[in-house]
Amino acid sequence: MRARKGHARRRARKRLFREVKGNYAARGKLVKMATETLFRARAFAFRDRRYKKREFRALWITRVTAACRARGIRYSQFIHGLALANVELNRKSLSELAIHSPHLFDELVKIAQSAAPARA
Amino acid sequence: MQGRLARDGLAGVILRAIAGYGLNRRDNILAFESRNFHVTKSYLAKTGEVNPAWILVDASGHVVGRLAVKLATILMGKHKPQYTPHVDTGDFIVVINADKIRFGGRRMAHPTHPNFTAKMVSKTYDHYTGYPGGRKVIPAAEMLERKPEEIIRLAVRRMLPKNKLGRHMLKKLKVYRGGEHPHQSQVPQPKAV
Repeated sequence: MRARKGHARRRARKRLFREVKGNYAARGKLVKMATETLFRARAFAFRDRRYKKREFRALWITRVTAACRARGIRYSQFIHGLALANVELNRKSLSELAIHSPHLFDELVKIAQSAAPARA
Repeated sequence: MQGRLARDGLAGVILRAIAGYGLNRRDNILAFESRNFHVTKSYLAKTGEVNPAWILVDASGHVVGRLAVKLATILMGKHKPQYTPHVDTGDFIVVINADKIRFGGRRMAHPTHPNFTAKMVSKTYDHYTGYPGGRKVIPAAEMLERKPEEIIRLAVRRMLPKNKLGRHMLKKLKVYRGGEHPHQSQVPQPKAV
């Protein structure tokens, strides 16, 4: 007997529409556009999983910068000072400390300042 | 939030770092804590979570763009460690004495204006009325006389994000030409910028 595609095709289509549910107009209704939408969505997802790492690092740096400037030190001086003092806390930790434990961040600023005295 | 980070445990780790500088990178402090608390996520502010302050800024003697940078930073909330790109974490700003703002550029002699500069002639504020040939050009010097508030507001607006959030942020900027402002009940705190 010749194998026919009816069942498999229906299953494939159901699965496709499950994944593109919520897309605008034909993107969530027609097989042709839905296929492309899904294809692109996965490509964006792949790319953005990589971008996520850069974007968060940028956010942490922005936050640490804000915390530093409020204490009268530049971000670059702060990071330089910590490096000289062998404090290897990463930017994520530093930013979370700045938010949740400002008094500890004060201490870190002092460490950075004493390790790398500000040039006049 | 405090419980989430287990303040004391964290303090211990930091103090160890301060005392012996013995912390290495793999001791990502949150990962370190997460062995007990399962915390690895970055903080993201929620709408309304970061309370906005009211700030009073005296614009007199400031150069437009240089002042606007600082105002925009505060409106966006980039001066706080809680800064979150998709949430408005900024403060309210009341700017007074907008009419005493200065422009950059080479200084020029002027019969009445003490800080007259080349830029007040060359810089123009253009807008289009919508009618054919309806382009209006107002030199900066004239704008300074007619609508000094608009000079600051425009400079800041162009430095803010061009989206709904940016428009929302701009609404927190209140500019007045004189030394008076109607926000006494918010008690804006004077701030040197």
